[in-house]
Amino acid sequence: MGITAEELKSRYGGMVFDSVQVEATLESMLEFARACGETDPRYTDAGHPDLQAPVNFAAKYHGARMLPDDFPEFDRRMMIDAGKAVEWIAPIRPGDELTANSHLHDIYEKTGRSGSMLFLVHRMEFSNARGELTSRVDWRLIIRGGLA
Amino acid sequence: MTSRSYQEVEFGEDLPEVEVDVSLSNVTRFCHATGMLAGRFMNHEEAREEGLPQAIVPGIMSQGLLVSLVHRWAPGCGIRKIDTVFRAPVLVDSAPRCCGVVTDKDDDSRTVELDLTIVNEQGETRVLGTATVVL
Repeated sequence: MGITAEELKSRYGGMVFDSVQVEATLESMLEFARACGETDPRYTDAGHPDLQAPVNFAAKYHGARMLPDDFPEFDRRMMIDAGKAVEWIAPIRPGDELTANSHLHDIYEKTGRSGSMLFLVHRMEFSNARGELTSRVDWRLIIRGGLA
Repeated sequence: MTSRSYQEVEFGEDLPEVEVDVSLSNVTRFCHATGMLAGRFMNHEEAREEGLPQAIVPGIMSQGLLVSLVHRWAPGCGIRKIDTVFRAPVLVDSAPRCCGVVTDKDDDSRTVELDLTIVNEQGETRVLGTATVVL
């Protein structure tokens, strides 16, 4: 690999490279919950006093960019979705206007039997109009073979 | 308030399994709610053209199915974190089951840790994850 994970982390780690505004609509929250078989009325009953979005609702959003504009080129076919983690911090309410800021939270490499793998942890942090952090969504990506 | 108290939960306790609805109509409903409108989720033929055996359930929906499993087990609880690995596709129009087990308890924070899985009809794990839950 021409550039090491440490160098990538030093260059891009923690830098917010994307910011989008999204609205959490009542209908999308309810339909998300119901399709997932949710039974707790906090997520399915439009009249519930504590109505809120499903715990992993924010994971449905994507930013405008997956990576910083000047991130080194690599073969996107070598990228694997290694999983998603959602941290619930505060409720998302119907009609909330959310700001989602993206940064690379971690970058590291591992070497196994199949060779080198570069791990990227793409983090989106969601805040409501009052500036309160509501959710963190970590998307783990593996680039098989690392960067050429 | 939760209907299960922290004290009554036991280490190693299994959550009641749930057979979940991943019919084409229900997955399509989820896709429209989330804007995930790719053909591989909502159309078997388009999924086959991408080399998949049939349409697949979006990973975020699989995660949501596991969230629902936890709420059925402990209505009113607070899920503080859920982390999932999508090991293999969950097929649309199949009959997967969601399972869980209590793997840890923390008396100070009154949280429990859960291991969660989605398995197919052959008992193969397709999605696995963990959750941190406040009771």
